[in-house]
Amino acid sequence: MLTRSRQLWILYGAALAGTTAAATLMMLFYAQVDAEMGPIQKIFYVHLPFAINAFLACLLAFVGGIGYIWQRRMIWDDLSSAAAKVAALMCTVVLITGMIWGRYAWGKWWDWSPRLTFSLLLWLLYVVYLVLRPSIESRQRRAMVCAVYAVAAFLDVPLVYLSTKLMPKDIHPAPITLATVDMKLTLAMWFVPVTLLMGGLVVALMRSSRLARRRADAANADSAWSLSEGEPIRQ
Amino acid sequence: MISALRKIALLTGKDLRIEARSRQTLGLVIVLGVLIIVVLGLGLGMQGKDAGYGATAVLWVAYVFGGVLCFEKTMAVERQDGALAALLAAPVDRGIIFAGKLLSNLVLIFALAAVVTPAAIVLFDFDLSAAPGSFAVVTGLSMLGFASVGTLFAAATSSSRLQGGLLAMLVFPICLPVVIASTWMLVGIFRDGKALGGEGLGVLVAFDAVYLVASWLAFERLLEP
Repeated sequence: MLTRSRQLWILYGAALAGTTAAATLMMLFYAQVDAEMGPIQKIFYVHLPFAINAFLACLLAFVGGIGYIWQRRMIWDDLSSAAAKVAALMCTVVLITGMIWGRYAWGKWWDWSPRLTFSLLLWLLYVVYLVLRPSIESRQRRAMVCAVYAVAAFLDVPLVYLSTKLMPKDIHPAPITLATVDMKLTLAMWFVPVTLLMGGLVVALMRSSRLARRRADAANADSAWSLSEGEPIRQ
Repeated sequence: MISALRKIALLTGKDLRIEARSRQTLGLVIVLGVLIIVVLGLGLGMQGKDAGYGATAVLWVAYVFGGVLCFEKTMAVERQDGALAALLAAPVDRGIIFAGKLLSNLVLIFALAAVVTPAAIVLFDFDLSAAPGSFAVVTGLSMLGFASVGTLFAAATSSSRLQGGLLAMLVFPICLPVVIASTWMLVGIFRDGKALGGEGLGVLVAFDAVYLVASWLAFERLLEP
């Protein structure tokens, strides 16, 4: 007999696989090829949902950071940490798909254009978060420093955007326009699996953090028991 | 208000007196700044025909590396002999401690800039006389935002248990918008002859406002003996 949690995860996995397959099929066979950019334009259907979900993950990391600073409850740290990890992952996908697109659209992998620089800086902000966490041993100290960093990083996002607008003009040839209904539907379809992926990863990483904390607490309690020769120390 | 300003002046004075007696931080960061200018000058100056404008970016490299060392040193002073525990036990609001540390850091960075900037002017043939006021406003505003972020995260990383180099890693990505804005504004002013103002100045003021307030609010949460 499966537990309720396991049933939900199986349902989630089936929904994710099904919507990903449907979105991929729509991208390959339903959405027409862009007249100006050719087949490479199809990467846009993956690029944009990941970019939007990266922002959502950044927002969740910010909310978790504010929550921890406000209440000092570890559940907020779990949320902030999970969301920041997912944000870094999503930003990586955005950066890679953007570079592939750029390579075929303009003939080079990288250019210091405002949009590319913005993606790179956003990615850097959240990759640093990943390096920061294991650098601090104390649980409470780590949670507080990471919460402050998550808040600062999110506040930095509009400033990064504004500052990159001061750079020389973008090399993007023209804004992508989704002229036909099939293109719009395909893009809308891609939002479903990517948003499911983002939400599922955040929840899974939060659960994993909580379990790791419980295991560490249990191990500490065991060592406290053995040190005090049978007399348990109250946590 | 007067009392708060007096306390800020006392804290800043204490930090600067320690620095004046030990002469450790400023000497170190000035030599580092000049070295950065020389190394980048050797790399860029020989091939760059546009080297005069490249000086604005090279200067920022010297400012940010020197600045991070200043932030580390001003907080490290408090870790010696339990000085921070005593400071936290004193009847002083932690916002005032933040303001005192921020002012100390700003004085040190401005002292660094006072030496490193002329070096860049000479080595990169950078004509500062075209708009010295604009240069001072842009650099000053940028350094205020940079120093407030640096002061905040120096409090977070000053614990001896943390790995070295972590402060630079935290401060650099957060401060990159101000470096981008400042560099492109200076290029606009000195290369294209644009007047100071507009969107760029707005970004710098927004950066300062966001980071001064956020750092001031978060500082007390991060400061611990």
